Amino acid sequence: MKLNLLDRLDKLQAPLNVLVAVLIGFIIGTGLMLVEGHNIGEAYTALFNGAFSGRFNFGGTLERFVPLLLSGLAFAISSKASVFNVGVEGQLYFGAMAAAYFGYTIVGLPSFLHITLVLLLAGLAGALWALIPGFLRAAYRVNEVCTTIMLNYVAIYFTSYIVNHLFKNPHIGVPQTPNIQESARLARILMPSRANIGVYIALGIVLFFIWLMDYTTLGYKIKTVGLNPQFATYAGFQARSIMVGAMVLSGFIGGITGAIQVLGIHGYFLDNFSKSLGFDGIMVALLARNNLKVLPFVAFFLAALKSGAVGMERFTGIPRELIGIMEAVIILFAAAEAIIVIRRRLSYQKGGAEVV
Amino acid sequence: MEPIVKMTGIVKQFPNVLALKGVDFSVEKGEVHSLVGENGAGKSTLMNILYGVLQPDLGEIYVRGQKQVIHSVRDAMHLGIGMVHQEFMLAPSMTVVENIILGFEPNRRSVVDYDAAAEKIRALSEEYGLAIRPESRIIDNSVGEAQRVEIIKALYRGAEVLILDEPTAVLTPQETEDLFKVIRSLKEHGKTVIFISHKLQEVLAISDRITVMRDGRVQGTLLASEATKEKIATLMVGREVFLNIKAPEGKRGGVVLDVQGVSARGRRRLSDLKNVSFQVHAGEILGIAGVDGNGQSELVEVLTGLRRVDQGDIFVSGTKITNLPPGEIRERGVSHIPEDRNRSGLCAELTVAENLVATKLKRPPLSKNGVIRGQAVRELASRLVEEYDIRPGDYRIPTRNLSGGNRQKVVVAREVSEDAQLLIAAHPTRGVDIGSIEFIRSILIAQREEGKAILLVSADLEEVLSLSDRIAVMYEGRIVGILPASEANEQVLGLMMAGGEYAKAQGEEEKVVEA
Ligand SMILES: Nc1ncnc2c1ncn2[C@@H]1O[C@H](COP(=O)(O)OP(=O)(O)OP(=O)(O)O)[C@@H](O)[C@H]1O
Ligand SMILES: [Mg+2]
Repeated sequence: MKLNLLDRLDKLQAPLNVLVAVLIGFIIGTGLMLVEGHNIGEAYTALFNGAFSGRFNFGGTLERFVPLLLSGLAFAISSKASVFNVGVEGQLYFGAMAAAYFGYTIVGLPSFLHITLVLLLAGLAGALWALIPGFLRAAYRVNEVCTTIMLNYVAIYFTSYIVNHLFKNPHIGVPQTPNIQESARLARILMPSRANIGVYIALGIVLFFIWLMDYTTLGYKIKTVGLNPQFATYAGFQARSIMVGAMVLSGFIGGITGAIQVLGIHGYFLDNFSKSLGFDGIMVALLARNNLKVLPFVAFFLAALKSGAVGMERFTGIPRELIGIMEAVIILFAAAEAIIVIRRRLSYQKGGAEVV
Repeated sequence: MEPIVKMTGIVKQFPNVLALKGVDFSVEKGEVHSLVGENGAGKSTLMNILYGVLQPDLGEIYVRGQKQVIHSVRDAMHLGIGMVHQEFMLAPSMTVVENIILGFEPNRRSVVDYDAAAEKIRALSEEYGLAIRPESRIIDNSVGEAQRVEIIKALYRGAEVLILDEPTAVLTPQETEDLFKVIRSLKEHGKTVIFISHKLQEVLAISDRITVMRDGRVQGTLLASEATKEKIATLMVGREVFLNIKAPEGKRGGVVLDVQGVSARGRRRLSDLKNVSFQVHAGEILGIAGVDGNGQSELVEVLTGLRRVDQGDIFVSGTKITNLPPGEIRERGVSHIPEDRNRSGLCAELTVAENLVATKLKRPPLSKNGVIRGQAVRELASRLVEEYDIRPGDYRIPTRNLSGGNRQKVVVAREVSEDAQLLIAAHPTRGVDIGSIEFIRSILIAQREEGKAILLVSADLEEVLSLSDRIAVMYEGRIVGILPASEANEQVLGLMMAGGEYAKAQGEEEKVVEA
């Protein structure tokens, strides 16, 4: 018996949508290059080489891959519980600051222990910061999208104050903290790029959360609360605590994201260093439709685009912003549906006032 | 005369099941045509194909003699085909008017013309006797009201052929009567109605013709005037069905549920709980009868921790459970088949297995230290699927893909297998076919024999009468009387449900008998 083609396409719908979005992105990008009178073949070769050829370029891709992956994971985890953590950026700043502080002040530990400890403390800092919007949402139904966005600014300015006044490297003019101890540094791979073993740590964390969502009761509860809070409550789960829990987990990952940037890339906290790494995670999660197993691929794809854009700019003079436009187009098309889903969830939450 | 709708050789394959295996079905203009069959027989699927929601793999559809390919709901509407789904599809936080016009807003210079819409809706509602409150939000409506909204929505969009998929499953007898008046008036206006139901007496009462489906095939079409319940049931199930299982007298044990003077705010004034007291013993089924909306839903919610008690106390086996969260009440030995399986009872996106284990996942053997043991989950799921005959038998598919009755079986399987001391069953056989009604009722009785206490809420008087040991009648949030089943019958209960006291009701009944 033949399967109806439409039914079969239904399953492939989500990945198909993304592919179409990518295609449209490339078409528009190509169109712009043509209008500007660039050589397409040259441009794409440069783009590809910029992302993959040689240790330095490939390392550059990996370097961008790590924060995209982790902040994407952070956003995806909270979204699973229907909580939208737009505050990964802020949690990342707090995590980074904690990493810089404990990476510098803790002395004499073996490297493995020091790194583990710093990552945990940084995660904790992010988690505590995320607890505020989580608590406000659960206890007073304050919309977490608003609170997390606003708390981002608080986090950025607060850490900026710390690095400018309380914890500044006195020998350097720019606002940055003292260098962390050697024992806290993440070993570099693919020298001379700045890629480091943070890649493995990030992949390990993603694997852990895939396991958590599929094989633990906590993961089951998070999923259920996100899909149908009324059912979750009926089945005896504490929907509110689970939502807070998802937010805190998300903040924990956000904190670690910042820490890996400090321990692996910079070696210190630099004022305003992130420039929206945390926001990029939202688009990674949107493109992957919060599917944890798809996250690494999406993150890698976007990282390659970003890294390739730099190479392309250098060799062909095509401004990297063009790739930025391409990215924006892809996100726009791919996210349209995801946004509708989010809005439906939000209005559902309003409608089902008795739920939580 | 040409049939208004004719479907021939319809075949529909879902990834796991061949749902329709070559169905021929035709409907005459102006008739009420019933479609009956077991859960999963393919009724909803066939109608979804006619309504453009699903595409057939093979087969042809003729509307008014014209061959049609119905690609979408929009196509169906243009052909004058409307449908009220088994599981409603209304936006809960929008108003009745907004829901009706959604997607078909009358425009005036690209501004939605609410007044024109409201006017048209009022006219429709008067013409067919469909009482609705246009400005209320859907969540504040009862199921009966929501259903009338769905019907008006279909008419508003110009339906000539109206498909009603199990409309009465969620209705009280009174509401069903009202719906039948509407159907008759639709028929008088020359509309055609396709009516799906598992309740054979309804089917016999309202239809002109009846088509019986079984396992993706049509078994036959009968004239209602020549059909009997037995004939239909035998065609449907392939064997005889015994509905009126009357349990032997049970052995009543100690008090399990003790409700003492409970008051609580209700969804509306009439359903506020007012000083409700009663007890349920081990080995006993206490039935709650009443017209829907008289506090039964609120009572169940209060007992299961889903609604706050303002006054009074609730004890389960001597432990106070007043205002505990739902999870803790469950831990104290209460399980609950909720009245709304789609919103509360199931998570449609999760698999059948995940739904079956939801309430047991925290405990061994299903998990250990918070880690789920897949093997144990699969074992339990396959045992329950087998025991409760949930079809199709693959527990890895999303629950959304099950037919309505099979979803209900998932809920029943999960809650009964909790093995709790107290089982609260709200409309446990809603939407299931007669074979499964028989089965679920026998399970409730078996539970009682095992010494469980059961609180049964049902809009179906026949169900309450045939299962309960004692029957409590609710009216406007109060319990107006509790009587042993031996003294109850439909007349007595009917009078009490209208607010009469038990004693009074008895007196009046005698008068009725005398007269
Ligand atoms: N979207 C779907 N995907 C996969 N299988 C489906 C889907 N919808 C229905 N089915 C399957 O098709 C069969 C027919 O289902 P259908 O809903 O038509 O039954 P029904 O006669 O309406 O039953 P009920 O009386 O329980 O409502 C069932 O086995 C069901 O599990
Ligand atoms: Mg059905």
